[in-house]
This record gives sequence, structure tokens and C-alpha cells, in this order.
Amino acid sequence: MTDAKQDEVDPNAPVAGMDFFMQLEYHELLCPVVREFADALMDKRLIGHRCPQCGLVYSPPRGYCPICVVPTTKADEIELATRGIVTNYTVVTPVQYYGQEETEPFAKVSLQLDGGGNLSLQDLLEVPVEQVHPGMRVEVVWAPDSERKVDDITNRSWGTAEGAIQGWKPTGEPDASPDDYSDKVF
Amino acid sequence: MANDIAIVGYAQSPSLRQAELTEPQFLFPVISEAIERAGVERREIGFTCAGSCDYLSGQTFAFVMNLEAVGAWPPISESHVEMDGAWALYEAWVRLQHGDIDTALVFGSGKSSPGLPAEIYPLQMDPYTLTPLGADPVSLAALQARAMLDAGKITEREMAETATRSRKNAIGNPYAQVTGDDDPETLLKEPYVTAPLRRHDLPPISDGACAVVLATADKAKALSKRPVWIRGIDHRIDIHQPGMRDLTESPSTRIAGKNAGVGKGKVDVAELSATFSYQEKLLSQELGLGDGVEINPSGGPLAANPVMAVGLARFAEAARQIAERGKKRAVAHATSGQCLQQNLVAVLEGD
Repeated sequence: MTDAKQDEVDPNAPVAGMDFFMQLEYHELLCPVVREFADALMDKRLIGHRCPQCGLVYSPPRGYCPICVVPTTKADEIELATRGIVTNYTVVTPVQYYGQEETEPFAKVSLQLDGGGNLSLQDLLEVPVEQVHPGMRVEVVWAPDSERKVDDITNRSWGTAEGAIQGWKPTGEPDASPDDYSDKVF
Repeated sequence: MANDIAIVGYAQSPSLRQAELTEPQFLFPVISEAIERAGVERREIGFTCAGSCDYLSGQTFAFVMNLEAVGAWPPISESHVEMDGAWALYEAWVRLQHGDIDTALVFGSGKSSPGLPAEIYPLQMDPYTLTPLGADPVSLAALQARAMLDAGKITEREMAETATRSRKNAIGNPYAQVTGDDDPETLLKEPYVTAPLRRHDLPPISDGACAVVLATADKAKALSKRPVWIRGIDHRIDIHQPGMRDLTESPSTRIAGKNAGVGKGKVDVAELSATFSYQEKLLSQELGLGDGVEINPSGGPLAANPVMAVGLARFAEAARQIAERGKKRAVAHATSGQCLQQNLVAVLEGD
């Protein structure tokens, strides 16, 4: 809380601001469906639940379909492809704040997997941010066995698979046509 | 003059020390059950309002994810309060007064288990003088209890008796977390956690949820054989700085109770958000509840304290007393902030 700058402050000047740093820690149990998802990831498998009513695929599984408001169970589990199409992306330009580690702009992409299922907030590897575009065909890059950590997988932000997947890299195939992925993502 | 609004459905989750499921996951069956008990179609619901706290969840916009438990497609009309679900109920009550919709869904949910309440709660204080002190809820409650003891307004034995009755009442409550049949003498032998409070004077750390369905008069009569009418509802705030008020009084409770009409008839039962044991007597006195009033037959917050749902659960429990147990007139109370800073009071009646 105290730093060198404070020594330069005129002690008679009115207080204009004060630093107050704090940190909150949270420890949450992995919910059962996300635990199954995490176990599969450790096994280099990507799983999801297919809604028995509307057919939408959720990965990681939630245990319900929020569109139909029906529960989903182990019986609705399917294995997903580890190849897909970039459907959308966001370039994040880091603003430096306390605790921020990124310094350069980076992209997070949304993916539509071959055969169904979507993932969001994925890292794209080997592609400069200015070249990211919808339609790119990509495949998974698993983290090495020794580096895959179930601890990095949380209940938060459905769709992340940090700790198991390093990111996604281009397959080198021609771009998919918009017809292949439009109106399939919600 | 406000229109009568009725509670036509309610449901709760069990309160757990550490829920394995996520908030939307345990909200999912609770919301479905409340809607089913109300006998409405999900699509008929004109307005949805939720109460929860992102600081508790440790995630920004966590309340958006909770909407997945409602079924948000086709798009719904909804709102959120960063407060207990009881304040979401108040907002829905106001919304129903407009008269253009006839049904509303309200829910509250929270998981206290992932974080440390003693670290999170000081953030509700002002950031200049109070937050840096790190004054946690137990310390502040201990100050208030001490003030009441010093003023001769309560005794430690009365506090233990409240805890004993809460725990005994909770034995019959399937949603409760802390039950027991120890007598006050046994509890008084326990060491202090923060003097003058012992473990039984504190609420448990709980994860849980509650949902309530409201309807306007005509709709309620069509839906329910025994709608639970909200005859009056009001909420007030005392001064934020705990050092600037007399902690042995709760003027906000008194005013809210008067405006809600608590004194206009005989009260059979009251569900009070007395989160710490000593608060029950203070609240009862400010609300003018006499000896004949059954207080917290559910066990109250000393038996289950799902933060952000615990106040709304008082509405569900008070409504249960009328709809299922034949009581005529009930008081539901919710609180927020430190040392009973904010208070909401409602009077519920059966036909």
C-alpha cells in the first residue's frame, strides 16, 4: 500500500485519493457435469450434452437446456469433434491495471465444431490477430500430458477448457462457406 | 391505493453448507416447482425479477447466467436487484401495480460457501473509512448485541432461548441446515466466537435458493383456491454509518412495519430475518409483535441462511403458514446491510 510516491506527497495537501488493494479468494467444488467434462478433457476427449428436445449441443454440459428448460443427463452425453470452424472472434486490447498480465492484443474465438456443438472464448494459435476471420478451419492443440491440469477447469464461463486445451490451430484447408455456419450459433 | 397482489406459488432448495451444484443448476428445479405450484404456463409470466450478489459468486454478471434457469427464450421481460430476493419481490409487486401484466416470477439465490464472508461483506461499507477496517458481519453484530445487553434490552439467556427454539422448529423443516434439541443451558456453556456471541447466535453459512410466483387479484383467484394476499409492503433504511445510530433500536423496521399495516390486526405468525439470535427480540419489539405471535416456525435464518434468498424464503415460509397451515395473518421480514440497516416488512393474509 505504501510506495515511494507517497514520500513525494506534500503532507499538507488535501487528500485526493488513496490506494486500497485487496484480494478475494473463492474455492468452489466442480459441479458433477463439469467434472465429467474435465475428466474427458484429461483423456483428450471433448464431450457435451445434446438437448433431447431441441437438439442443441452444450459443451461443457450444463445439466439442462436453457432454451427448452428441460434437464439433460448422462444419457444425453455425446462426444464432439476436435475440429471446427471459427464463427466469430474478439480482439482484446489489454488495458494495464493491477494484476493484468497481458500486454499485446490477443484474439478469443468462437467455434462451431464439426457435427455440432459450440465453444466460445477459445485461444487461436499461430495466427496474427489481424488475420483472424470467420470461416477459418481449425483443429485442437491439446496441452502436453504433463501440463494438463483439471484444477484450471472451473464451473465459471461455460465453454472454457483452459488447463487441457492449449488452443486451436489452422488446419490449412480452405475457409468454410458462411452457409456452413450461419444461423447455427446462438 | 395499491392493488392487492397474491403469492400463488413458492419453492425452496435445501440449504447446504457447500452446494456441489452451481447457482443456475440448483435454481432450475426451484423455479420450475414454484411455477408448477402456481399452475401457470411459463410463457404467461409477464415479468421476472431476481436477487443475487456477484461478490458472493465471485464473478461479474453472474446473475445473467442464473437466468438460464428461467428459460429465457423467447426473450422475457426481466430485471435484477443486487439484493435479497425479497427486494426483487418488491420490484415485481410494483411492476404488477401497473396493471398491464398479471403474473410475475421472483427468485433469490446465493452461494456463500466459495468465498469468505468476513472478507466479502466489508465491501458493502463505505470505501473510505469502514471497508479498510475490515469490519466483518460477526464483529458488527457483536457490537449490536453488546449494545443491547448493556442497555438491558436482552440477556444472553434470551439469545440462547431464541437459538434453541429456532433449532427445534427447524427439525420439521426439510430445507433447514441446522437443527437440534439442546436446551439453553447447554448452549450457554459454549465458548464465545466473538463476545458476546456464541456459535448458536450466528447464522450458518449456506448455499440455497427460493422462488415465488405473484399474481394480480383476478388472476390469483382463478389460479389458487387459497391465494396469499400481500396486504401491505414497505421498506426503509437507517443511517449507513453504524456509529451514528442507536444500535439498540431499528427505526426503519418500525416505520416499514407501520406502513405495511402490521398493527392493523392480530398477527398469527411472523417469519423474521433475524440473522443473529439477538435480532429477533429487537425486530419483534419494533414490529409490536406480542406474546401470542409464533415467530420463525421454520427455524428462521439461524437454521438456514442462504444469503440473497433468506429474506425471500421468509415470504415463502409465511405464505406456507397461510396456504398450508390455516393461519390467517402473517408478517414476512427481510433485512440487508450491517446491523439491520435496511428492512422490508410485508403483511400477508389468507381469505
